[in-house]
Amino acid sequence: MATTPQRIHTPVTEPDFLSIHNGKPFGTRLKGWLFTLDHKRIGMMYLFGILGALLLGGAFALLVRTELWAPGKTIVGQDTYNQFFTLHGAVMVFLVIIPGIPAALGNIIMPIQLGAPDVAFPKLNLSSFYLWSAGALLLVLSIPFGGLDTGWTLYTPYSLKTQTAVLVATSGVFLLGFSSIFTGLNMLVTIHKFRPQGMGWFQLPLNIWAIYATAIMQVLATPVLGITVLLLSVERFAHIGIFDPNLGGDPVLFQHFFWFYSHPAVYIMIIPAMGVISELISTFSRKPLFGYRFVAYSSVSLALLSFLVWGHHMFVSGQSRLANMVFSALTFTVGIPSAIKVFNWVATLYKGDIRLKTPMLYALSFLLLFTIGGLTGLFLGILAVDVHLHDTYFVVAHFHYVMMGSTLVAFLGALHYWWPKFTGRMYNESLGRICATGVFFGFNLTFLPQFVMGARGMPRRYWDYDPQYQIFHQLSTIGAFVLGISLFTSVMYLMASFWTGKKATRNPWGGSSLEWQAPTPPTLYNFEKPPVLHELYNYDDLIEYGEDDWGREGEGITEVTPHATPAKVVATPVKAEPGIAERVPPKTEDAPKDQGPKAEEPPAKVVEKLEKAAEAEADAAKPIAKDEEPKS
Amino acid sequence: MSAHGTGSRFIQHHYDDAKHQFDAGKLGIWLFLAQEVLFFSALFVAYILYRIHHPEIYSYAHKWLDVKMGAINTAVLIFSSLTAAWAVRCAQKNQRAGLIGCIVVTILCACTFMGVKYKEYSHKYHEGILFGRYFDPCISPGGTELLTKKNECPGSKTTVEWDFIDDETRGKIKSGCFEEKLVDQDPKTEGVQARCTVTISKGTKKGADWVETSSTPVPLQCPEEMFGEAESASEMPAAKTAEAAHKFPCWRTASQPAVCPDLTKPDEAISGSAARPQVGVLVEFGDEVERGEDTRIIAKCDAPPKAPDAGDIFADKPTSLATGKGTIHPVHEMTTHEEHEREAAGAPPAHTNMFLSIYFAMTGLHGVHVLFGIGVFIWLLIRSIKGHFTEDYFGPIDFAALYWHIVDLIWIFLFPLLYLIH
Repeated sequence: MATTPQRIHTPVTEPDFLSIHNGKPFGTRLKGWLFTLDHKRIGMMYLFGILGALLLGGAFALLVRTELWAPGKTIVGQDTYNQFFTLHGAVMVFLVIIPGIPAALGNIIMPIQLGAPDVAFPKLNLSSFYLWSAGALLLVLSIPFGGLDTGWTLYTPYSLKTQTAVLVATSGVFLLGFSSIFTGLNMLVTIHKFRPQGMGWFQLPLNIWAIYATAIMQVLATPVLGITVLLLSVERFAHIGIFDPNLGGDPVLFQHFFWFYSHPAVYIMIIPAMGVISELISTFSRKPLFGYRFVAYSSVSLALLSFLVWGHHMFVSGQSRLANMVFSALTFTVGIPSAIKVFNWVATLYKGDIRLKTPMLYALSFLLLFTIGGLTGLFLGILAVDVHLHDTYFVVAHFHYVMMGSTLVAFLGALHYWWPKFTGRMYNESLGRICATGVFFGFNLTFLPQFVMGARGMPRRYWDYDPQYQIFHQLSTIGAFVLGISLFTSVMYLMASFWTGKKATRNPWGGSSLEWQAPTPPTLYNFEKPPVLHELYNYDDLIEYGEDDWGREGEGITEVTPHATPAKVVATPVKAEPGIAERVPPKTEDAPKDQGPKAEEPPAKVVEKLEKAAEAEADAAKPIAKDEEPKS
Repeated sequence: MSAHGTGSRFIQHHYDDAKHQFDAGKLGIWLFLAQEVLFFSALFVAYILYRIHHPEIYSYAHKWLDVKMGAINTAVLIFSSLTAAWAVRCAQKNQRAGLIGCIVVTILCACTFMGVKYKEYSHKYHEGILFGRYFDPCISPGGTELLTKKNECPGSKTTVEWDFIDDETRGKIKSGCFEEKLVDQDPKTEGVQARCTVTISKGTKKGADWVETSSTPVPLQCPEEMFGEAESASEMPAAKTAEAAHKFPCWRTASQPAVCPDLTKPDEAISGSAARPQVGVLVEFGDEVERGEDTRIIAKCDAPPKAPDAGDIFADKPTSLATGKGTIHPVHEMTTHEEHEREAAGAPPAHTNMFLSIYFAMTGLHGVHVLFGIGVFIWLLIRSIKGHFTEDYFGPIDFAALYWHIVDLIWIFLFPLLYLIH
C-alpha cells in the first residue's frame, strides 16, 4: 500500500464472450447464442427472458391496480379481473422471481466468482433454459387458450371445475419446475466440485452460500410441485380423483403438497436476494462483512427451516389445532436467521465508508423493505391474528414486501452491480439513482396503504370493494404507476447502455471476489489468466484509480475490449467456439502437464484448471494461488 | 484423441481430468435421485393418508391385483438391477462384449416388466377396475374371473342374465340385481336361501332380443378351493378342481355377489351410498372372449319359502337371562381378519376407486420411469457398440445403473404396499 500503485497494462488477447462470433454470418451468430453452452450466454438469455416476463407481469399488475381505482367496474369485469391477478401472480412468481437471481444472475456470475471456467453440466444448463422457455411459453399461451382464473395457487377443487386453461398452465409450471430443479442441481455440483484449491467453504462469497442454500431447496422441494401439478393435470383430463372430493379425494391434500413446495419457493426467492445484499453491503461499505459465518449458516438454516413451516399458509383450511400450533411456533424460528442477517448487515454498515451508488441504494432499500416484510410475517404467524388477517390485503402487502420489495429490489441491485461486468458497459448512473429512489417510494406508496386496508378487513382478490377503502386503493394505484414507470425506465436505460454506455473497467466498484479479476466482459472461459485468491471482503489492498475503476497492485487492467470491433478478434486462435454442441478439448502443447495423475501440487489446482481454460498461451501467466506463496 | 492426457475424448474440457468429470457426474446423479425420491414422495404420502383414513378400501380392493404378476415383475426388476450393476463392472474392466450383453439383458428385463404391466393394465381396463370416475362400481368380489363381475346393471355391459322371481312379482322375471330385502331369509340360517338354477344358453342375438337355440343346465356348484366355503364342500365332486371349473362352469349362490348401485342417481353412485347388499349368483366360467358371443349364462332364482311370521319378535331369542346358561346363544365375536373377509365378500366400501387411483398413479409414474430407463439403456447400448466406454470413461453406465436401481427400489416399495397387503 505504501508504495506507489503500479498498473500493468496487459491487453486481453482473447475475445470476450459477447463478441466471439463477431464478423461471422448472422446464422452463425444466432446459433452461437441459441446452442451455446457458455454459462454467461445462457444466463443472459435467461436475463432477457426474465426482463420480458417482468414487463408482462408488471403490465398485469398495473391493469389490476387500474381496475381497483374505484369500486365496481372501472375498466374490466370480474372474470377478466380474476385472470389479470392470476396471470400477474403466476408470471411474476414462476417466470420472474424464482429464476431471477439463481438462474439468470447466478448463472452468469456464480462460476466466475468460483474461478471456474463453466458450470459442471453445461448441456444440462442449456436444457434448463429451454425448459424455462417452453414453460414460459405455455404459461403465456394459457392467455389465448382461455386464460387462468384460479389464482397462482391453483387450489382444488376450483381448479378442477373452472373452464379456463388450467391444463396448459400446469404443463407450463411442470416444465418450469424441472428447469428450476436442473439449475439447482447444476449449481450444487458446481459449488462442490469446482471450488478451487485454497477456497474453502468459508472463503466462498456469501452470494455463493446463498445460491447453495437455494439450490438445496430447488432440488428437494420443486419435485413435490412437479408431482402435484402432474396429478392436477391428470385430474383435469382423466379424473383420477386424488384431489377431487366428489370421487373421495382430498382437496386439502393439494394445499399441503402445494405449500410443501411453495413455502420453500418463497425462500428460493429471498435467499439469493440475501446473498446479493451481503455482497453489495460489504463492497459499498468498504468493510468486511460482519459475522460472515453467521450469515452463511443462516442461509442454510433458512433453507432447512423452509421445509417445516408450510402449514402456516393453511391455518384456516381445517388443520388440526395441534398442527396449527406447531406450525405457528416453527414459523417464529424463521425469524431468527432472518434477524441474524439483518443485524449483521447493519453492523457492516456501521462506520463503513459508504458509497451511495445505484446498487447500494437498492441494497439499503432492501434492508428497510425486508425488515417490514419479515416482521409483518410474524404477525401472520400468530394464530389468532392470522384468522383475522388471512386472505386480506395485509397478506398481499406482506408478501409483496418480501417477494417484490426484497427479492425484486435485490435482483435490481444485483443487476446494476454486475451489469458492467457481463455487458462491459456502464449504465447511466444518475438515471439509475433516480429510478432506484422511484422504485423505493413507488413501492412503499403501493403497499403501505394495503397493510392498513388489510387490517381493516379488505379481502384480497376482490374485484369490488366498500367505498371506505377507496382512498387506500387510489394511493396504491398511484404508487404502482410510479413503480411501473421506474422499472420500465430502468430496463430501458440498461438496454440503452449497450449502445451508449461508456466502457466498464475490470473492477468498477472495488469488489474483492474473483469475478472482478476477470476481464470485462469475461472471455469464453472467464479468465484470460488464472485469478489470484485474496482474502475475501478485505478491501485494504484495493486502490481506487479513478471513477468506477479499482484494482489491486500489479493486477492487469482491462484494455479496450473488442466489444464492437469484429475484425481484430480473428488474430487470436480461438480453438473452441461456444455454441457448438461438442466442445473440442484444448489441444495444448504442454501435454505432459495434462497427462498422468495430477494433484501433486494441490495449491496449483485452480491455476492449472484455469490455464487449461485460458488455453492460448501456456506460459502467459505466472500466477500465485495464494497471496504470498509463489507458485513453483 | 488419445494424445490428450485424460484418456477419453469424452472428457469435457472444463474438467480437470476423467476423475473430476466422473465425481461431478456422480454427485449430480445422486442429487437427481434425491429429486426422484421427493417426486414420488407425494404419492407415498397420499397412499399413507388414505390408508390411515380408509383401511377398508385397501383391504377390499387389493384383491384385484394379481400377486403372481407383481412377484414376477419384482423378480425381473431385481435381476435387471444385477445386470445393470454388472454392466458397470464390465465397462470398468474394458469388457465390451460383457458390457453389451449386460445392457441387452437389462433392456429385455425392462421390456418384460412393461409387458407384464401391460397385461395387468389391459385386464383391469376390460374389467372396469379403473381409477376415479372410470371405476365401474359393479364389481364382484372374490376374483376377476367371476362372470358376475359384469352383471346386468343398468348402464353396464351384460354378460350374465339374472332372473329372480319373488313372491310379490311371481311370474314376472326381473333381471338385474336384487336387493336383499326382496329375499325372505330364515333368520336362523346364515347365507342366501334362494333356490337357483343356472343354464348355459346358446343362441344368437337379434337386435335387443336373444334367440335361444339350446339350453344346458349347470347343476354343479363350485368346489371349495374356489371359494373356501367349507359347508358346501361335501356336495362337490372332488374332481372339480379350479382348472376344471374354468372349462365347466360352476356356480353358487351368495349374498352380495355384486354391487349395483342405482346409477340413475349419480350422486349416490359416486359417493357409494347407493351400494347396497344384494343377492345373486356367482358363476365361474371363462370370460366373454373364451365363451364366445353365442353363449350366455342365465341364472334364475326362486325366492326361498317365507319365514314363519314373526309375531313375537323375541320368539327366537332367550326370553330372559334367568333361563339359564344353555339358552343363551353364544355370540361369536368376529376377529379383525374375519371382518375383513366379510367386508371383502361384500359391497365395495365407498370410494374404493381411491385405491385404484393411487395404484394407477404410483405404478403409472413408475412405468414411465421404466420406459425412460429403456430409452437410456438403448442409448448406452448404441454407445457401447461404438466402443465409447473405457475404464477412463464409464460414467454414463454408472449413472444409468444408479437410476435403474432407484427405479427398482421404488418398485420394491410398491409391490408390498399395493399387492401384498391384507
